[in-house]
Amino acid sequence: MMTTAVPPVAPGALPYDDAEMPLALVQAKTRRLVLRVIWTSTAFLVVAGILGLLLRLRQAEVITLGDNFWYAVMTAHGLGAFIAWAGFFLMGITFWVLMKVGLPIRSFVLPEVMYWSMVLGVIGIVLTTLLSGFGGSWVFLYPLPFNSAGQWSDMVTGVFSISVLLAGVSILAYCSAVLHTCIGPGLKAKTDTVGQRVGLTFGFGLLFPSRFKTDRGKIPYPVLPFAVNAVDMFLATLPFALLLVFQVIESVNNGFSINVLLAGNLLWAFGHPVVYLLLFPAAATYYYLIPRYAGRELVAGKAVAVAWLIALTMNLFVWAHHLYMNYPDGENVQQTLGTIMQPTTYALVLPSALSLYSIAATIWRSDFQWNVASKFLIAGIVSWLVAGLQGIINATAAFQETLHNTLWVVGHFHNMAFLNMGLLIFGAMYAFLPELMGRGWWNERLGSWHLWGTVIGAYGWVTCQMIQGLEGAPRRWAVLPEQYLTLTHISVGFLALLVAAQLVFAYNLWTTLRKSPFDDPGAAMQGGTQR
Amino acid sequence: MMTSLGTGIAVGYLIFVALGLIISFAVLWSTRAGRRDKGQGVDVERAEKAEPWWGVFVVGLLAILLGLTIWRAPWFTENDDPKDVQVQVTGIQFGFLVQPTQVKAGEDVEFNVTSKDVNHAMGLYNPQGQMIMNVEAIPGYTISRSYRFTEPGTYEIRCLEFCGYKHHEMIYPAFQVTA
Repeated sequence: MMTTAVPPVAPGALPYDDAEMPLALVQAKTRRLVLRVIWTSTAFLVVAGILGLLLRLRQAEVITLGDNFWYAVMTAHGLGAFIAWAGFFLMGITFWVLMKVGLPIRSFVLPEVMYWSMVLGVIGIVLTTLLSGFGGSWVFLYPLPFNSAGQWSDMVTGVFSISVLLAGVSILAYCSAVLHTCIGPGLKAKTDTVGQRVGLTFGFGLLFPSRFKTDRGKIPYPVLPFAVNAVDMFLATLPFALLLVFQVIESVNNGFSINVLLAGNLLWAFGHPVVYLLLFPAAATYYYLIPRYAGRELVAGKAVAVAWLIALTMNLFVWAHHLYMNYPDGENVQQTLGTIMQPTTYALVLPSALSLYSIAATIWRSDFQWNVASKFLIAGIVSWLVAGLQGIINATAAFQETLHNTLWVVGHFHNMAFLNMGLLIFGAMYAFLPELMGRGWWNERLGSWHLWGTVIGAYGWVTCQMIQGLEGAPRRWAVLPEQYLTLTHISVGFLALLVAAQLVFAYNLWTTLRKSPFDDPGAAMQGGTQR
Repeated sequence: MMTSLGTGIAVGYLIFVALGLIISFAVLWSTRAGRRDKGQGVDVERAEKAEPWWGVFVVGLLAILLGLTIWRAPWFTENDDPKDVQVQVTGIQFGFLVQPTQVKAGEDVEFNVTSKDVNHAMGLYNPQGQMIMNVEAIPGYTISRSYRFTEPGTYEIRCLEFCGYKHHEMIYPAFQVTA
């Protein structure tokens, strides 16, 4: 029986289609900015992907790489894939989704700072790793950057730290731009004060509708994860920036040093929340796109608002689960942090669990529109569930003696980052690029090949890594012990399929850019294709 | 080969993944009916009202897992009882200093693990290649971890915390457990 609580939208009017659009000039500038980020981050993916392939080929003894070069490649791959591709892409697409829900960029200064500082930072990271040999891994666990065993100099560590700092500046600029955009007039607070705008931005309008009123009826749900992520990443980047500044100082002053445990805590105060730099904008993009394909509003209410408030607070108090195994004798603070941060990490399951419920309820018995974009999104959502279950295991201190620093962890974060956020990114490209480019995709069937090749190839590869991890295979080993070689070889077969699928995607994209004459952005929004 | 804990984790994980996939498939399958009735045949208000209960259910499951596991955190499972043997393990790029290098099966052994330069970790592997212990080696700090060996043989210590360009060669191949 139909009710009116969350009505399906009228035929032809999809969720958020009623959002007020900004002036054509703002739309055009936003389109150019977002496209620039998409192309740049995709170029970073190409480089990071090739580097990742080299890593696994070396482990499979298919190719040879110098030991330190392997670790330098590992460092560049980690930062390149996580921050420069996935993080950067989602930072860019944020502004497109926000505009589509009626919150256009209010100033382009901060997004431009975001873009250029990320590009400069990535260039610095590439130079210091691949050319100057910095191979401290993407977490560069202090004091390793200053104990390279003769492989790189302290000065290289300093330049590397400045480069990562630039990526941090990019994240800070992004967070500031998102908050500046969200806490603006777009949410149409009835009483237009900063307090009302802030309240609406963080979901208080859903919890207390009589106190936080808006002329829009209900605030667009994608705003919640975007805004929560902006606050959390702003706060989480600051201690990390402090660590990087310390490293820059030490690179020019050998007498300076910091406590090892403090450095670890500063690192992970950023190093875990940065996962949500990807996951929360991904959740927001699901919130935007899934209702459009399902043809009804997101099925959500107060519970989702509560979940995002939990995320807002708990996200900043989970870092110590990366340090579960650092519990020195007599150092009770670290042990206490570990005890506290298992339940706080569990609390972060709620935003995911409730989001997955909302998305499932939105899809349930809907007249769902199946196309390449929506199939990618569905595959990403299922991966969100699968990788989330792995995350609960990883958050459990008692399991760490078996899992910590094994390939299980590597398999998990590739499952989450590539098979959830990565598939969302491809889905967003299939969904948004037709409108952004003004032309539809060249070939739907090639898109399906891309999907199946990516899903089968990537799941085969990460499953091999996770089994190896459960068998005790150490992570970050250029050469794995003999006992793990069979699964490494099998995973290379799956990686070959994954690479082939990306080549199909590249061909489809290239052909689309060169040949597709389709020029109907409105229709193309739903993933229009030529053939 | 996995340890019993590793096998338990794998089985538990696979059960929940299977449940998740079944639910996911059911949701996607329901869109066939949705196509027939143009998405009008569902009570979305009921689904919205049920969402908090789903949240409560998830919190309940997590609370159970927390209650079952938090007491097994490594820092809670150590005690101050005197041990039969103290083994000092010191990581240094790119090797382990181990003293003594031999213990007897059945003895309570306490490993005192530290590092002289960067972070390392002691991964202890039994003769079957299973990892049975995982302890961080932090410069300036010591972590103590106890173990009672039941099986004689040659055990291997591998570095599990990335420590530089010869990290994968940081192996102590011959920690002996005698009968």
